[in-house]
Amino acid sequence: MILKLMKKEWKELVKTGKIYVLLFVFLFFSIGSPVIAKFTPDIIKSLASGSEMQGIIIHLPPPTWKDALLQFFKNLNQIVFIVIVIVFIGSISEEKNRGTASILLSFGVERKKWLLSKFLFQLFVTFIFVLFSYILCAYYTYFLFKEISIYSSLFATLLYLIYVFFVLSLLIFSSSLGKNTIQSAGIFFAIFIIFNLISIFPNLNEYNPMSLSSFENQWILKGVLWKDAIKNIIFTLIYSFILLFLSIIHFENEEL
Amino acid sequence: MNVIETHNLYKYYGIKKVLDDLNLEVPEGVIFGYLGPNGAGKTTTIRILLNLAKPTKGSVLVLGENISKSRKYLRRIGYLPDVPNFYNYFTAKEYLEVLSEIIGVDKKRVEEVLEIVGLKNEKKRIGAFSRGMKQRLGIAQALLPDPKLLILDEPTSSLDPQGRKEILDLILSLRGEKTVFFSTHILSDVERICDRVGILREGRLLLNDTLDNIKKKLSRRIVKLKVDDPLRMMERVKKEDFVEEVLIKNQNSLIIKVKDLQRAGKKIPEIIVQENLSIMHFEVSEPTLEDIFFEVIS
Repeated sequence: MILKLMKKEWKELVKTGKIYVLLFVFLFFSIGSPVIAKFTPDIIKSLASGSEMQGIIIHLPPPTWKDALLQFFKNLNQIVFIVIVIVFIGSISEEKNRGTASILLSFGVERKKWLLSKFLFQLFVTFIFVLFSYILCAYYTYFLFKEISIYSSLFATLLYLIYVFFVLSLLIFSSSLGKNTIQSAGIFFAIFIIFNLISIFPNLNEYNPMSLSSFENQWILKGVLWKDAIKNIIFTLIYSFILLFLSIIHFENEEL
Repeated sequence: MNVIETHNLYKYYGIKKVLDDLNLEVPEGVIFGYLGPNGAGKTTTIRILLNLAKPTKGSVLVLGENISKSRKYLRRIGYLPDVPNFYNYFTAKEYLEVLSEIIGVDKKRVEEVLEIVGLKNEKKRIGAFSRGMKQRLGIAQALLPDPKLLILDEPTSSLDPQGRKEILDLILSLRGEKTVFFSTHILSDVERICDRVGILREGRLLLNDTLDNIKKKLSRRIVKLKVDDPLRMMERVKKEDFVEEVLIKNQNSLIIKVKDLQRAGKKIPEIIVQENLSIMHFEVSEPTLEDIFFEVIS
């Protein structure tokens, strides 16, 4: 049943054209990140050689594969994150609002399975896109810089996938709670901002999923250090499962 | 056998009582008209029957299953919501194929139901459908699992006369094959296609019987009268011992429930003459469902 429901989600993603948005964004940033890292110093130098800036000496260290990967993760955590939220935030609330959820559930489709199919589908699609763009980014980085640490960059990507797991759980939670897309987005960003505000307290960092992005950067720069991140990973997964559990409980009891 | 039974069913939203001790019985094989003004609790009843809402108190049996214990019965139900919304980016065929896959129905059934509702050759996306077409697609979707029971929530309320006729003909064509539970506030629709009627008001079931029985009970005792001063006529006729009740239906019309029709036939014209009133209409008639409805809810 879950696979059949996921198939319906896939058809929806294709028919609504959302898949092309995801494809474009991931492709753009997987190829764009190493290119930007490689040519930014050259661009700055050429600007500095213009007549207005003559006399100014700019020393920039030669870019490395690390700059390319840092740029890649920066884009994943900002623009790609926003796109994922926009594409998936209404997945449950909009179906509740429009009444399409009631129709499916009136056929005896289990609520829990319906909700989980949404989550698993979003997880599957996002994971595939992230891994695909990582491979593309790594290939381009190697092509432009002639070196890359697959070990560091791959594990930093896995760390990002754990963060994505949390973000998607929060999206499902917000979407199951909200009665429409606007409400769901409000719930999502309220919780997201709270987690970001917690980052102000350094002693709480190891319990905060938002800190995973700083580990991604550290692993790229200094190498993989599981010991530092393990507590963070465990807490992120715990929060994710709690959010999923609460979503199911709420949705099972919600009147449609 | 009853396909729907509710026992002492209550539903509250906060302090608002929406269903009040509802005891509903729908026998197998009938087209059941669930009548009531807007806000009477029709949609709430349907949502409870479909497990989309939970009763505050009471029990519900659908197709012999207690709905609070099992949801398997839903596999044998077809449902059309009051405002059916679909995934607009699909064509009717694509939508029903996706649905048939999810609920485990043979894809051949898609062609069959599209044929029944006359959408077999429709290639447009659902988003471009008219209301009538959406309603027909809704019925196709409800028929997809070949259900024993069809639950239709106000299937004709938003349609033009042509669309209404099409949908009613469609429902009528299912007579004998399925039990149809059909909520509406359009009395003429019920009168046209239903075998049995339940009248709901403020969450209470005021009447539940076959349309024939209801009419038989009341048919011998109704006189419809139209005079130039209905109020004076009402006051005067009320005092007569053959009169049971007098209702003003609209501006000039009176509905007089009488105990003795023969006496009424003689006396009413006499009273009109005595009171010097002008008679515009006099009819001893079978009551319409509208008459019954207004009588019951008043």
